[in-house]
Amino acid sequence: MSLAQGRLVPSFERPASSVAIVRAERYEQNLGQVMFEALREFDLHLDGKHVLLKPNFVEPDPGGVINTHPAVIQAARESFLRLGAASVRVAEGPGHERDTEAIVETLRLRDYLGALPDLFVDLNLDEVHRVPLRTHASRLRELYLPQTVLAADFLVSMPKLKTHHWVGATLSLKNMFGIVPGCCYGWPKNILHWAGIPAAILDINSTVRADFAIVDGIVGMEGNGPIQGSPRASGVLILGDDPVAVDSTAARVMGLVPERIGYLAKAGTLLGNLQQEKIRQIGESIASVKTPFAVLPSFAKLRGPSVGD
Amino acid sequence: MSSEENLRRDPHLGATSPTCFDDIWCRHFLLTHQNADGGWGYHPGASSGVEVTSWALIALGSHAEDASAREASERGRDWLLKAQLADGSWPAFPGQTEGCWTTSLASRALQVLGAAPEAVVRGRDWLLRAWPAEGGIWWRLVRRWRGHEVVRQDSSLRGWSWTPHTASWVEPTAHALLFLNTLPPELLSPLAEKRRLLAERMLYDRMCPGGGWNSGNPLVYGVAGLPRIGPTSWALLALARFPERPEIQLSLDWLERAARNARGPASLAVASYCLATYGRRVETLGRNLAELYRHNRFFDNLLTMAWIALALGDAEQRSGGTQEEGVPR
Repeated sequence: MSLAQGRLVPSFERPASSVAIVRAERYEQNLGQVMFEALREFDLHLDGKHVLLKPNFVEPDPGGVINTHPAVIQAARESFLRLGAASVRVAEGPGHERDTEAIVETLRLRDYLGALPDLFVDLNLDEVHRVPLRTHASRLRELYLPQTVLAADFLVSMPKLKTHHWVGATLSLKNMFGIVPGCCYGWPKNILHWAGIPAAILDINSTVRADFAIVDGIVGMEGNGPIQGSPRASGVLILGDDPVAVDSTAARVMGLVPERIGYLAKAGTLLGNLQQEKIRQIGESIASVKTPFAVLPSFAKLRGPSVGD
Repeated sequence: MSSEENLRRDPHLGATSPTCFDDIWCRHFLLTHQNADGGWGYHPGASSGVEVTSWALIALGSHAEDASAREASERGRDWLLKAQLADGSWPAFPGQTEGCWTTSLASRALQVLGAAPEAVVRGRDWLLRAWPAEGGIWWRLVRRWRGHEVVRQDSSLRGWSWTPHTASWVEPTAHALLFLNTLPPELLSPLAEKRRLLAERMLYDRMCPGGGWNSGNPLVYGVAGLPRIGPTSWALLALARFPERPEIQLSLDWLERAARNARGPASLAVASYCLATYGRRVETLGRNLAELYRHNRFFDNLLTMAWIALALGDAEQRSGGTQEEGVPR
């Protein structure tokens, strides 16, 4: 189950996390092998498990900058199958666009994964169950959440490396907004905005914890993200089994200070490791791949020399 | 032979006429996949939901001459009546205790069917009481105190929200207007008229600068938002009382262009439904839908099927006369 269980561990009790940064310059290269080699660095036990990949699909985008690239999804699917997973499906509930099929068709997801009807789940229209939230950072006390997510053995959050005009950066934690079903909360899922986006991010991730995160940073988005920003090539995949550690590493790659991103700083207290000294870096160093992202003026305070410099 | 087999075996599908596609497909698919409880789920076998049941009823409502459609509609109507909450609203799914935007859809479906006028009035009353959270005096004071306007909009113009205690958005506002537009004058109280006018003004205010609508943010940080097919179609349908206004014509032009490149069946269906209401056509609708069906089987999405049925249906039957959308023909 991806429903988080057990107690929330304070940062001083938490063991170090591992995050891998691997170079991947182009979507056309053999990402499957790159991904597989990186995943083998982690102690994953996937035999017979049902894996669910949760990419970030926002709206139809012929330019390919807004949504997680299908080549990365394909590489992840192949790699998890090679690692013994019984099944690997893909699921997403876009926040603005009701016509999810328009997004996956524009992305040409079929060309990468094959027949989609049995492989892809629109989380906006899935069966739902009432789930009490484990934390109360927001005024939300419960949410209806999709059966497909709750039933997954191993949930993988797969965001795009992007800036975000409300919260600074959108990475694997913010990507979990996509599991909240539109059929109950609408398009956009405005209840999360009124509850406070940073607080809602915490409540969702404390309740449904992604078991793994893979950030598509081959080409990300800077400036007025997550929809109307500009492409920014970083040429990296960032992955790990602690979404907070992955996001903080991704922020450092973007030239942002994770401790200054409100929801990420709070996530570091209960949900995962934020401080770089508690993250074991695998593969490339942050300094070697750092690609400063432009941010809107209101987020200029997020920029600064990071620990990774 | 199932409709699915029928479609697969049809070697001329690429040239299937819209009527044939509708008859073979959408109505049959909807009738086949009605749940035993009388409602419809988003997918075959899924729990019945208010939104999809309402749209299935609206789609089937135009085929009252068909005995199986009539019987299915009656069972669907009964399911919908059972799902109504004590305060007159409808939730997304039975068992949920709070009403939401689906109240507009359920009320409209019952009104279009000419069924259960008391339930319709209770739904109307709930909608008229349901004010969105933005735009009140306190809310405006806080925004003024914060001293910056990230989005450009007149928040005194309020429509309807997706869920209680949240802000107005284009689509739920459009659905509420579509319902109110079906009501005869004697059911339109002064408050209903007031809210209808306010909501119409809100939609015009939220239009994207070049025409069309997105979910409700036409300008963020000074950057024009990009319109999308779904919200544009619903907004245009809701504003169909004003076909000559330049905003409407600009948005119709945008929608016509966008529909030519629509890659999803739901987008294609609602765009076609909307354009047909204004006397415009998507010429290759049947062919495009058939091609999209081959790609993903529409993900067996019953809501999409209902929208397609409406898009392909006869315009006169679909509207139940001229009153439903209030469009001059």
